[in-house]
Amino acid sequence: MSAENYVVEMVDIEKNFATVKAVDHSFFNLKKGEIHSLIGENGAGKSTMMKMLYGLYQPDAGVIKINGEEMRDLTPGKAIEKGIGMVHQEFMLVNELTVLENVILGFEPKKGVTIDFDEARKKIQTYIDDYHMEIQPDKRINQISVGEAQRVEIIKTLYRGANVLIMDEPTAVLTPQECVKFFEILQELRKDGKSIIFISHKLNEVMEISDRVSVMRAGKYITTVDKKDTNPTDLAKLMVGRDVNLHIKSGNAVKPGEVVLKVDNLWTSGEKEISKIRGISFEVRAGETVGIAGVDGNGQSELIEAITGLRKVEKGTVTLSGKDITNFAPKKAREAGLSHIPEERNVRGLNRSMSIEDNLVALKFDLEPFTKHYTRNKKEVRKFAEDLIEKFDIRPKKADVITQSLSGGNAQKIVIAREVDAGGDLLIAAQPTRGVDIGAIESIRTTLENVKKDGKAILLVSADLDEVMDMSDRIVVMYEGKITGILNAKDATKEEVGLYMLGQAEQDRKES
Amino acid sequence: MEKEKSNRYVTLLLTLILSMVVGAIFMWLVGYHPLDAYVQLFKGAFIGKVNLGTTLQKFVPILLTGLGFAVAAKVDCFNAGIEGELYLGAMAAAWAGHYVTFLPGILHILFCFLVAMVVGALWAAIPAILKVKWNVNEICVCILSTYVAKYFCSWLCNGPLTAGSGIPQTPNITDDAVLPKILAPSQANFGLFIAIAIIFFIGWMIYKSAVGMKFQMVGLNKKNAEYLGINVKKVVIQGMMVSGALGGIAGAIEVMGAYGYFLDNFSLNIANDGMLASLIVWNDILLVPVMSLFVAALKAGALSMERFAGVPRSIVDTITAVFIIFATMETLFQVSKGRFAGWKQKKQGNSKSEGGKSI
Repeated sequence: MSAENYVVEMVDIEKNFATVKAVDHSFFNLKKGEIHSLIGENGAGKSTMMKMLYGLYQPDAGVIKINGEEMRDLTPGKAIEKGIGMVHQEFMLVNELTVLENVILGFEPKKGVTIDFDEARKKIQTYIDDYHMEIQPDKRINQISVGEAQRVEIIKTLYRGANVLIMDEPTAVLTPQECVKFFEILQELRKDGKSIIFISHKLNEVMEISDRVSVMRAGKYITTVDKKDTNPTDLAKLMVGRDVNLHIKSGNAVKPGEVVLKVDNLWTSGEKEISKIRGISFEVRAGETVGIAGVDGNGQSELIEAITGLRKVEKGTVTLSGKDITNFAPKKAREAGLSHIPEERNVRGLNRSMSIEDNLVALKFDLEPFTKHYTRNKKEVRKFAEDLIEKFDIRPKKADVITQSLSGGNAQKIVIAREVDAGGDLLIAAQPTRGVDIGAIESIRTTLENVKKDGKAILLVSADLDEVMDMSDRIVVMYEGKITGILNAKDATKEEVGLYMLGQAEQDRKES
Repeated sequence: MEKEKSNRYVTLLLTLILSMVVGAIFMWLVGYHPLDAYVQLFKGAFIGKVNLGTTLQKFVPILLTGLGFAVAAKVDCFNAGIEGELYLGAMAAAWAGHYVTFLPGILHILFCFLVAMVVGALWAAIPAILKVKWNVNEICVCILSTYVAKYFCSWLCNGPLTAGSGIPQTPNITDDAVLPKILAPSQANFGLFIAIAIIFFIGWMIYKSAVGMKFQMVGLNKKNAEYLGINVKKVVIQGMMVSGALGGIAGAIEVMGAYGYFLDNFSLNIANDGMLASLIVWNDILLVPVMSLFVAALKAGALSMERFAGVPRSIVDTITAVFIIFATMETLFQVSKGRFAGWKQKKQGNSKSEGGKSI
């Protein structure tokens, strides 16, 4: 293969942040008209690599070539000029402006001194037609769905003349249906000769869409393989560096027992209009995992906050083990037997400025033996923390490390260790594996399975539909603050759940 | 973590030296002899009974108000109202010291302190309650309520509680309520030892007790604390009340130790000096005493510097201001250190790369 075939070549790249080697002698190349996935765990250096290609960071060593031309002191402006476009994980769109305005922002076609909107509209319409994207150019961004916003981002990069599209975890925010559509667009783009870099850690998606796959681990380049020569298990092994069990299935060994959590006709306020909870009822039994599926922002967060006492319940009741805990303060709800792994790990779940041990003991630091005669007994805290660190395999194994420096997986393990140790009858796990690497996902899911085996009830909320399908016994699907369906996980298919997630199937199929 | 802390101390020392240097350059530019001025400043602050006594007398209220500010900062409140708490505490102590006569000796002293603390704490609770209930900015409330406190005291010592001597002051407190003097004839008094004991108590409370743990958890992350089941509102009010009580004690010591009565406008923004001392050291309880002593020494030594070196004492304010500016430039020394480290690494040809600190 001659070098001219590559539109992008990154050779022996190195990048340090202070003392941390973010990227260590790594390689990446991209052929014209291919979809090349770049996979790796969090912190493996994928995003850093791509940010260097887009000119956001400067490499400390190594060579970046675009169309065979060696680039020095690359800036985003220059990268765009050379045809590199990036769709960031968080969309870079102005909510108050229309789709059209967002696309041309900074690259407006001029007619004299005014913006030539007609010209812009014509050009954008060609992209919409060519790639069969459903977008209304005159809607404001805050009126369109996440999937649409993503398509706007793609058009934006195309409009700026991109031949190479970098997509940073693009599917994380999409429903299964939107994903299918998104992949169709990618295929069309490829047919058109565009080259696409697809950053992800969802292996089945990588297998579905890519031509080649490059793997990075801990800043190092591991290998590049052709899709046809590999499979998800091998890829996972390459990513993590050891064998991984990708699918920890819900074990049905436990017979569901008493009703632990009963939510009856619950109404609350919402962050957004569509996330208000409007009359939700369901039950979770002992020894059962109930998963809540739904597109992010359809009231899942509000529901959890209402149950845990962090948001005011306007109408309806929440009952825990037969006790009415509606509008209980968080402390009293916890005393009634509620444990909670919150979705915002870094805001609610952890006090990031505090040490591992202080976070682990945070629920009982003021009780004996951790506090005696008003004075904290740090020896007891240390003992308790070291015990949990061992049990839940939190790394580093040093109790006095500030949690700020921990990886997502280990930070999450602290939260899980604390909540599982609290031993409530009900464990609410909201996004337990979000932003967590594969190795930790495996261990977290195993932990949750064990909690269930102990006869506790689990309420699982996850944006990762695979996770909900794998872990739950029953699935509650939410759409715009209502339940659109309650399904048995065993019989449900992904497509079916996806339909309910879009609110297309109304409450006509309730489980008996 | 330990390393970070010691870096802080180094940064502080560098800041101190830098601001002294800037002060020296300034003095030299306007035609004074900087070294002479600093020698006189030092002498005026520490050499001789009276000088040392004056420094210590100024040190006590700066320390206590500084500690008070730092405690409020631990629960993420900016208590700009310690001056008000200091005035009200002083007035309360002056009242109890003169009018409550049935208590003997030590009990009388304790009672005076108790009244001053309660008054200070209740006054500080007002902005705290407004903050947690209706999300009113506590800084605004503090600043405004300080005027109320000051003028209220002014009215009391001119009207209902006046000594009637034509000077706006209250009658003398009874002898058994007076704190013994040390280093006479300076105004330094036994309050110094009370203040030192309070350093240890506050240090224990914040860093060793369960209450302090709660303060820190709330101050560092309210959402986390709320989720864990801590009553955030209550803790914020508690923190502010402790802060106010410290302001009250500062006022009481001024009355019972230094003056013997409440004198209108006796404090020329003592609490502001305390607040600055605390802000400079990032509200680190263990460093507040050090910084308070430094500020007190500057204040006390300034006069003798003016007298013997001919340098106007307002130069001290300049140095303090420069100090504050440098100290608030948090990245001042970090940036240069970073550059230096980078340069050093390059020089070594990246031979010693440290595998990465993130875990």
